Amino acid sequence: MSRFSRAFVLLACAGVLTAGAWKYSFAGEEAAPRIKEYTPNISSQEYEKRYNAVYGKSTEKMAEEGNPADFMLDDGKDLFGKAEGSAGKSCASCHGANGEKLKGVAATFPKYDPAINGINTVALQINRCRQEHMGAAPLKYETYDQLALELYVKSLSNGVPIKVSIDGPAKPFYEAGKAYYYKRHGQFNFSCAICHVKYAGHMMRANLLSSNRHHADHWPAYRLDWGAAGSFQKRFRGCNKNVRQEVLPFQCETYRDLELYLTYQANGLPIQVPGFKM
Amino acid sequence: MPAVGRIKIRMPHTISRGQVVPVDVLVTHPMETGLRKTKDGKVIPAYFINGVDIFYGGDRITHCDWTIAVSANPFMTFYLKADKAAPLRIVYKDNKGGVYQETVQINPR
Amino acid sequence: MEQKGKDLALSRRAFLKTGGAACAMFLVAGSLPSLVKPAFGAPKEESITDVLRRQFGGKQVSQSHVDIKAPIIAENGAVVPITIVSDLPMRSDDYVKRINVYAEGNAEPFVAGIDLTPANGKAEFALRIKMRKTANVRVVLETSKGKLYGAARSVKVTIGGCGG
Ligand code: HEC
Ligand code: HEC
Repeated sequence: MSRFSRAFVLLACAGVLTAGAWKYSFAGEEAAPRIKEYTPNISSQEYEKRYNAVYGKSTEKMAEEGNPADFMLDDGKDLFGKAEGSAGKSCASCHGANGEKLKGVAATFPKYDPAINGINTVALQINRCRQEHMGAAPLKYETYDQLALELYVKSLSNGVPIKVSIDGPAKPFYEAGKAYYYKRHGQFNFSCAICHVKYAGHMMRANLLSSNRHHADHWPAYRLDWGAAGSFQKRFRGCNKNVRQEVLPFQCETYRDLELYLTYQANGLPIQVPGFKM
Repeated sequence: MPAVGRIKIRMPHTISRGQVVPVDVLVTHPMETGLRKTKDGKVIPAYFINGVDIFYGGDRITHCDWTIAVSANPFMTFYLKADKAAPLRIVYKDNKGGVYQETVQINPR
Repeated sequence: MEQKGKDLALSRRAFLKTGGAACAMFLVAGSLPSLVKPAFGAPKEESITDVLRRQFGGKQVSQSHVDIKAPIIAENGAVVPITIVSDLPMRSDDYVKRINVYAEGNAEPFVAGIDLTPANGKAEFALRIKMRKTANVRVVLETSKGKLYGAARSVKVTIGGCGG
């Protein structure tokens, strides 16, 4: 927590954020699903320019040369081929020895699934397969094996442009994700969108606030701050904590809706896992 | 679990004889400094790789002395003049007596 | 705050564990720098000049033929990627036999020493190092003929917070 919140408190004190914007409460924000989306303060070219000025290619280079999460990826591949549960099957038994049948599949996730009348994520699907098709216990979220399998399944779509759909029955869930993203909550009354849409490209102390268009394509990622690999949803929780918002359980409905909202923003970007982040 | 001392070596797929090639190596290790404490105030003992030896064929071509200030999961890039077909062996040693190694065969064309 | 006086970058994870309360405190106090200063009674740190004098006995270091590639800003002092590049020869009769790496802001500035041989073909080496604060990264190369070459580059390390 903190470098963010503190910086923002300072910013606010300095009057960089106008008192008006700060205190503004959206009348009926909760009730009405209609959300007035922010326009980023700067153009996407300007954003790219600033991003490259601050980060250059250093994390990309580190990711390519040697990403500690590469070991996790190897383990995920092994787990994929390992029989578990009462059915005596491995993931490979149904989805191909090298996951051939799952190539490109992760690029369409998260997606609406009538069976759960909600949004299905790769992590959730893996546990559903374990329970329904393998007779095995679900993997606890964010444990090493769970992340390793998720990472491996996602890596089968590396280079494939993200293509998630928000049409038809997915729409209300997308809207719910967006509503969460724009809702101001927590001690500091922040919304995700303030930082990652409106002020994307601005510096918050040492951090350049990233644009949410680039959030969904590289998770699970190795994060220096964690000293380990973690999931997209773990990163949500990090931001929730930073701005003193309620931290929700992994794969809860809200986070799955949020994942759909954010992944849709990244439509067209190729999946590149494992990521490597500060 | 991510065990200590797993090694990944990355280098160009095809190497011509005499070419000077970069070798990227990653090893899993906590590189504990001995300066950190647990929540209840106990010092976490230092645990880090302090020596690396790199052999090409029978010769030791590079040696590293490392301290706690090398980052966790140490990464390095060194160069190799690939002038013979021989194994390249990388050996890490830590302050608790752990030895971790990996070998790749260099076959310049 | 028992972390006080410790190397902040190095002790950061322990620091994280102190959790919300600590963060709330900083929010109020609004300043971390006190953490970076050595605590009262902390062991005296050896300065880079002392270290270099101890290792090279005041011998002249030519500030040439060496370049350090490093980020201008390192957002996380726990992992700062650096590359040392030199155009000095790697011939059997004249080669770079050791690269010494220092982070001047660390309690113990010596980070790594790398012994090379002509079989490396090139005097270049990359690694990722810990830096507890904004400071120079310094390298000193020793050649087989006993000459010393060096370079320094400043890296701005921004202090991390409680993570997230
Ligand atoms: C007994 C066969 C079987 C096994 C074993 C199995 N699955 Fe599945 N998997 C399916 C079926 C059938 C579906 C289609 C959706 C459903 O019924 O859940 C599916 C769907 C999926 C999908 C989504 C595919 C899509 O096109 O949307 C993924 C990803 C997946 N499985 C991963 C795994 C992983 C990882 C494992 C191992 C932990 C695994 N599965 C084990 C049968 C299996
Ligand atoms: C006070 C500003 C602030 C708020 C509010 C905020 N974040 Fe962040 N967030 C940051 C900063 C700073 C980072 C790290 C730098 C970066 O990548 O933007 C970050 C990083 C992230 C990342 C990782 C970006 C990447 O590269 O993958 C995700 C995902 C994210 N935030 C999601 C959220 C979500 C979801 C919310 C709302 C629950 C939220 N953030 C609210 C400041 C904020």
